[in-house]
Order: sequence, then C-alpha cells, then structure tokens
Amino acid sequence: MIATWYAIVCFMLIAYVVLDGRNFGAGMLHWFVAKTPEERRQVIAAIGPLWSWHEVWLVGFGGTLMAVFPRLMASAFAGYYLALMLILWGLILRGVAIEVGGHINDRLWQGFWDFVFVFSSFLLAILFGAAAGNLERGVPLDAQGNFSMAFFTDFTPRGNVGLLDWYTVSVAIFVAVLLAAHGATYLTLKTEGLVNNRSARFANCLWCAVVPLFVAITVESWVVRPDLFRNSIRNPFCWLGLLVIIVSAVTLISGLAARRELRAFVGSNGLLVGVLATGAAALFPVMLYSTLAPENSLAAQAVASSKSAFFYTAIWWPVGLALATAYFIFISRRYAGKVSVKRDNQGFY
Amino acid sequence: MEVGVTMNSAISDPSFWSRLQFGFTITYHYLFPQLTMGLAWFLVHWKWRALRTGDEKYNEAARFWAKIFGLNFAVGVVTGIPMEFQFGTNWAGFSKYAGGVVGQTLAMEGMFAFFLESAFVGALIWGEKRLGPRFHFLAALAVALGSWLSGYFILVTNAFMQHPVGYQIQPDGSLGIASFSAYLLNPWAWVQFAHNQMAALVTGSFVVAAVGAFYALRGLHSTQARLYLRGGTFTALIASLLVAFPTGDQQAKMVGKHQPVTLAAMEGKFDGGTKAGVALIGQPNVAERRLDNPIEVPGALSFLAYGHFGSYVRGLDEFPKETWPDNIELLYYSFHIMITLGTIFILLMGYATFQNWRGRLESSTLLHWVLMLAFPFPYIANTLGWMTAELGRQPWLIYGLFRTRDGHSHVVSSGDTIFTLIGFTGLYFLLGVLFLFLVGREIGHGPDKEKVARPENANTKKDESLASREEEAGL
Repeated sequence: MIATWYAIVCFMLIAYVVLDGRNFGAGMLHWFVAKTPEERRQVIAAIGPLWSWHEVWLVGFGGTLMAVFPRLMASAFAGYYLALMLILWGLILRGVAIEVGGHINDRLWQGFWDFVFVFSSFLLAILFGAAAGNLERGVPLDAQGNFSMAFFTDFTPRGNVGLLDWYTVSVAIFVAVLLAAHGATYLTLKTEGLVNNRSARFANCLWCAVVPLFVAITVESWVVRPDLFRNSIRNPFCWLGLLVIIVSAVTLISGLAARRELRAFVGSNGLLVGVLATGAAALFPVMLYSTLAPENSLAAQAVASSKSAFFYTAIWWPVGLALATAYFIFISRRYAGKVSVKRDNQGFY
Repeated sequence: MEVGVTMNSAISDPSFWSRLQFGFTITYHYLFPQLTMGLAWFLVHWKWRALRTGDEKYNEAARFWAKIFGLNFAVGVVTGIPMEFQFGTNWAGFSKYAGGVVGQTLAMEGMFAFFLESAFVGALIWGEKRLGPRFHFLAALAVALGSWLSGYFILVTNAFMQHPVGYQIQPDGSLGIASFSAYLLNPWAWVQFAHNQMAALVTGSFVVAAVGAFYALRGLHSTQARLYLRGGTFTALIASLLVAFPTGDQQAKMVGKHQPVTLAAMEGKFDGGTKAGVALIGQPNVAERRLDNPIEVPGALSFLAYGHFGSYVRGLDEFPKETWPDNIELLYYSFHIMITLGTIFILLMGYATFQNWRGRLESSTLLHWVLMLAFPFPYIANTLGWMTAELGRQPWLIYGLFRTRDGHSHVVSSGDTIFTLIGFTGLYFLLGVLFLFLVGREIGHGPDKEKVARPENANTKKDESLASREEEAGL
C-alpha cells in the first residue's frame, strides 16, 4: 500500500516534470530558436493552451503528497523554504510572461516578456534540477525529522549540506540541458518553418550533450550515495527503469536520425520518465535521506498518513486521473498539428 | 494582538509573520477568483443565449468578457499556487497534524477542479472558431463548473477548520479521516459555500454593471452597454438578496451554534442576556469590556441567531479569555462593515432594477455614475466576510482542536518569512499594476464587432515574405 502510494506520488511529480519540462525547455531556447517577434509568438503558441494544465500536475502533486505523506510534505517544504519560494516566484513570472506577452502588439512589450519568459524558465529548470539533486543526495535532517538548509555551505555533499554543492549544481546543469533537449524535441514536433529547423538542430546538439553529462552524473551519484546503487541492483523496478531508458534512447536516436519528429518526442518523454523513475525507485523506501545520520532519514512508512486516508484517496484518485486525461485528449485533438509562424485567425497566445 | 505591548515580541514571532503572509497572499489571491466565479455564469448565459437565438450581440459580450476573465484567471492561477505550498512551507505544524484530512480536499481540488478549468480556459478565450459554437458553450460551462467545484473543495477545507467533523485522532496524535462523507458534506461547508458563491456572483455582476455604466456614460457600444447594465443590475439584486437571506442568516446561526464566543465578539457583546440587541453603531472597548456609544435594535441578535427574541445570547464574559478571538475590534468592524455594505448593495440594485422596470435604467446619468463607481465595494465586502470568518476562528487553527500558535513551521525563522513577505508584496504590487493596465486597456478597447478575438498582426507583409521563404526552403 505504502509502495503504491509512493509510486503514485512519484508518478505525479514525474508527470509534472515531463509535461512542464517541455515548456521550460522551450522557454530556455526561446531566444535561440526564434529570432523575430512573430517566431517568438509561434513558440508561445506551440506551448499552447495547455501550459496551465501542465502546471496543475504540480498542484495535484502537492495536494496528494499532503494527503498521503503529510509529515514528509511538512518537513520538506518547510526545510526548502527559500528555494521553494524562489520556485513559486519563478512560476508566477513564467505564467504571467506567457499570458500577457501577446496582449500588446509592440516590440518593446513583447521583448520584455520574452526576456522574463527566458529568465524564469532558466531559473525554474536550474531550481528543479537542484531539488532533484537534493533528493538524491539527502538533506541535513535532525533526529526530529526536521531540517533547515542554507543555500550553500562548503559545497561538499556530506554532513551539514546546503541547497547547492558540487553534486547538486551538476545535477541542476544536467537537468537544465536535459529539459532544453526535451523542449527542443517538442518544438520540432509542434512548429513548422525556421523555428522547426533551428529546434531540430538544437535537439541534436543538446541530446549529444546529454550523453556525457548523464555518464558524469551517474558516476557522481555513485560517489555521493554508493548505497543507492547497492539498493538498485536488488530492486526490479530499477532494472525496469533501465530498460525504459534504453528503449527510449533507441527510439529517440532513431527518431532524430530519421527526422521522425513524433517518434523522437515519444523517445524523449520516455527517456525523462525512465531517468526520473529509476531515481525514484532507487530511493525507496527512504523518501528523504539524512546527510547527518542515516538513522534520521524519513522512510515512507514513518511519514505516511492513516490507512483510511489511503483508502479514500484510492477511491477518488483514479477517477480524477481519468477525467483529467479525458480533458487533455479532447483539447489536444482540437489543437493537433503544427503551429505556423503566421498567426491563425484566432491568434491564440 | 495588543500591538503596543507586544511589538518587540511580534517582530521575532514567526507565527505572526506566517499569519500575516498567509493573510496577505490569500486576500490578494481571492480578489481574482471571486470575479471569475461570478463572471463564469455570465459567460455561460451569453453563450447559451447566442446558441439559442443566434443573436450576435451575445457572442460579442462573451468574447469581450472572456478576455477580462482570462486576465483574472491568469493572475488567479499564479497567485493561487503559492497558497497550497504555504501549507507546507509556513504551516508545517498544521500540515503534520491535519494534512491527512485537509490534504484530501486540496488534492481533490487539483484533480477534479483545476484540471477541468485549466484544460478548457484557453479554449474558452481563444478557441471560439476551433471549437465551434456548441463546444465553445460547453467550454464555458466546464470552466464555470470547474471554478465552483474548486470553491467547494476549498470551503470544505476551511469548514473543517471552522467546524471539524468526520475526523479521528490517531495513535500518534495527528488527525485522520473517520468518515469521508461527513467530512465532504460538512453542514458548515454547504452554508459557507452558498454564502460565498452568492457573494462572488455579487462581485461579478457589479463589475459587469459598472462596465455597462462606463460605456453608457461615454455613449459607446450602446447595445452592449444595455446588455451589461440590465444583466448586471438584475443579477446583482438577486445575488445580494441571497447573500443576506437565507445564506448569510444561516451562516450567522451556524456561528451562534458552534462558535458562540465568536458571535459575541462579532457583535461586541461583553455581557450575556436575553433580548440581545444588534448594534447598528458602537465601538467595542475591549479594555473596559463594553461597547461604547451603541445604538441597538433590541432583541434582534437573539432572534437572528436563535430564532426567538427572548433567546439567551452568551456574552464574552461567560467564556475564558484564552478562547476569545485575539482581535475583537477588527473582527467587530469587519463584520459590521460587511453587513452595512450588503444592505447598501440590496438598496442600490433594488433601485436600479426598479428604474429598469420603469424603462429609465439607460437614461439616468446619476445612477450610471453610482453603478460605475460601486464596483470596488463587493471586493471589500467579500474580503471583510473572509476576515470575519478567519479572525472569528482565532485563537484556533482548527476550532477546538488545534491552536494557531502551534501551527507554524518551527524551522522557518521570522526573518525568512519577513523576507518572503516583502518579496510577495513587491511582486504582487507589480502584478496588480500590470493587471489594472491590461484590464483597463481591454475595457478601453471595448467589445469588438469583428469575429476576430485579437487584432491581426500589423506586419502581415513580413509574415507573407517569411512564409514564402519557408516554402522555398521546401518545408
């Protein structure tokens, strides 16, 4: 039961990263794949009418985490206080930039909001990346299961750690490059014209850059948390995750090579899911690892809610997911196809 | 909080700053959903009328208001996400204690309401052609239902804090759910939902009427102005009446039944008694424990709260001081100004509806001025209503179970919270300026006659040359 809910909560977070990750990626590349104001509107239109639907996954994740693992939610959110506030402010800026950038047909106005969009996308990708690094590395949990972390301490990943150290910074860079590659693959699929050309070129370069970074992160993770690898070998889900990574990588590479845009994007999604899910499976059953003393770590069992909470959530959660998916499919089909640089007469976004 | 005495301790009291930050961010956030929840049903109505009658003026109205709706919705979304996260960041003590219960509805709000709203809102604003008239109507309906559903889940969460039901205390001392149906169907939630949603409809209809009056005064968009004036004033009258009776009345009875000390504080009633009056005017003097300079309607409070003029209403003196709401003056004034405004709303909109019946709604310049300038007051009344609810709940975070002072995150210092509060203040100030600028621009631009939701790009020539370049490139 606990393992299932751990999986569901991870699923929601992973769904958020994969879905909104394309928007962060598109945001980071916004200036580079789109040169004219029209092309920049085209990129925003490609993110399309569903960016807030993507963001709801983060809200859904937060609520579900509170319902089924309340003590983890309390401990982690309070401990990450300032980092989380920066994420919230970044999300505010990003959302506003997408929504209001197209309201006035003026170079200065649009240029300003394009800048805000690019800046907040970089900030968010780096912060979410650092957060992922923190989850793998662990946080300075005390015996009561609380922590309060500085932005940085001595940049080493052991003992009294900060948000940023050499390990989490490299994970942040890896995640930013990975999401940029993901976003480029998405833009290739969703746009036509010059933006499509440039995105395809960026996708190739960025995915090439992902490979050495991935190797480096794997080695670094082994140095920082050797116990994770000992766990993973015995965990069938990690092997399943590895299989997903390999299959997705093959799909992605063949898609990129043959310029089959949909195939490449499916591979890109699969790869992100595979990497994140393997990481999540390796962490289980510990949800928050203590860098001060392993016995302070918060295991899923210890932070879980009551049996009745699990029971009721298990009833309504699948219904909610089914409905959410149905809306998504309905709207996606209405907005299927590529976005052109010409404003369509509805001019969305 | 007695400011003079505790100023120094307040600076270093993290609970105080977390309360202030939550209070500020939620108050600001709720300025936007209260309009969208009210406006949503106007959009549904106009889309429906357009579908039935084929009259283009309804589509024009829906198209124009969808843009206003979209701006409100966007600010509502971005200011709403910090609310959920603050439960964890600033209120870890509360989340540890009650997360297993209130997390249910917060998660359900995301899964059932936000996914629905966020999927269809883009289609509602920009997708008229893509969706066709029928689906576009359904998109409006989906957004309206989503926004009200979201309101319900939040009010169930709040109702649990006001009047906890359906819970059990678990071996580790935290709360768990004993009966999910009791929790979701909390009687407090139903009453509060009805009261709150009607109040949101008041805001929506006042704003619609104000924009109608603005156009009428400037002699612009006369068909649309008439539509907004008539629809706005009539809906505002109905909604204002429903806010007062039965929903507001039931809400007060609910407070009288489950939070008698709060009722006493709301009314500035220090001594209990039968035939308790409602003070029309008066200043609570907490130090001397009396209401100064009161003008009272005798027996009214007894009747309103408990149904008989002779009913005994308990005064604050009958309750231990540590259960008194911690800012009685603010609570008293919030409640009284809300009631006063609600009464004025009924009178104003009753008069406007009467003028409409006489056929004089469109010709009365003075009335247009009043209607145009009246729109901020429902926002004030809504905010005061929530201040009454939340100040009245003090000193409890969950009434009778968990005190506010135990709820904040112990690892977050007051310095952290002051820093982020300043950040929120600055960011929200800029957001407010931006919002007013854009909404003002849309209202200045007015409803379009064209079917295009947005002006074509001025530089179409360039578009064409780009497109031909792409074709040459063989794309």
